[in-house]
Amino acid sequence: MGIELDTRGGPTGGPYYEDFEGFNMPEPPGHGSRRIPRGDFPTGPEVGTRLPDIVATDQAGRLVDVHADRAGQPAVVVFYRSAVW
Amino acid sequence: MDAYRAAGVRLYALSYDEPDALADYAEAHDTTFTLLSDPDSEVITSFGILNTLIPPDDHPWYGLPFPGSYVIDADGIVVAKFFEHNFAIRSGPEQLLAAALGQEFEVPAPGGSEPADRVSVDVRIDGDRLPMGVTRQIVATFRVPQGQHLYGEPVPDGLVAAAIELDDNDGILSYEPVTPPTGSLTLSGSGDTLAVYEGDVVLRLPVAQNARNMQKDDDGRFVTISGQVRWQACDDVECFLPESMPFSFRVEAGFPVLGDMGPGVGRVPAMNGAQHFQRLIDRRAGTEPRDEDQ
Repeated sequence: MGIELDTRGGPTGGPYYEDFEGFNMPEPPGHGSRRIPRGDFPTGPEVGTRLPDIVATDQAGRLVDVHADRAGQPAVVVFYRSAVW
Repeated sequence: MDAYRAAGVRLYALSYDEPDALADYAEAHDTTFTLLSDPDSEVITSFGILNTLIPPDDHPWYGLPFPGSYVIDADGIVVAKFFEHNFAIRSGPEQLLAAALGQEFEVPAPGGSEPADRVSVDVRIDGDRLPMGVTRQIVATFRVPQGQHLYGEPVPDGLVAAAIELDDNDGILSYEPVTPPTGSLTLSGSGDTLAVYEGDVVLRLPVAQNARNMQKDDDGRFVTISGQVRWQACDDVECFLPESMPFSFRVEAGFPVLGDMGPGVGRVPAMNGAQHFQRLIDRRAGTEPRDEDQ
């Protein structure tokens, strides 16, 4: 898939980064530049399809199968960068 | 989290961190939802959302996903997903919960004082803070009397679609409005087909703060989000005059807790962030852990 890096934004002086739409916010020191895609980028399973299985270790060291663990309840599944940085 | 529990909606958050880093985070922040560890980015890759703009030799960052959220129903079917081009923005918890529960959830009980032959409107902001990088929603609920309807986009000239509009303000960004599906109404005269809302309608406008352009109150801790709701009601015979209702919300303009690298002095709880980060780099670089740092 031809995903393109969005290079239209850039640092605006100081700790700020501004994207091409003029949104700006601080870029914390040490974060490196954000690798933001330009145009379409993959967002995974489509609306209307079953969420693929997720089996992963949780914060207590327990192996969790999301579909089994939610026990028939609706759920929100968030993919984010890191709890560390 | 209480709102999620009360609503019977589970929350899972997955990242490429090691389980022990998640354990430290959970302890530092009293986390009660499930943090999932995907250190080799296997789940992220299986979802097809690995950020391939990051080269594999960029050790600390390789393995990250394009960040976003999925909302699934009781059968495990994806009912909504939220991905933004700008990774600095993410959808707020209220927005995700509303998507999990459906539009009907937010319609409040009828107000007592409003006569039942006119549209009445309730406008709120979902949440009491607008921290940087997290969206909140302006929620407008229209109670539409029997036999009347409102218009959705697109509308022909001369009619006003129901909408939430923000005042001109560089400091607040708005996103694609979340609207229920419209029905269609064909006019007998012209044969034009219009998009209409019948019955109660809930419109949502996600907003976020635009950091440096933000105009905060004198003490720097609050921000005001103002604008108006517009609508025009019609029945089968005639249209009433367009109406509008201004709104203004003053909310706390907080900063989210960013990565915690420090020893946990002051407001930010300790989670040994720097130590976990060093291990993350060592592991990806394929070097031995540096014992002298332990």
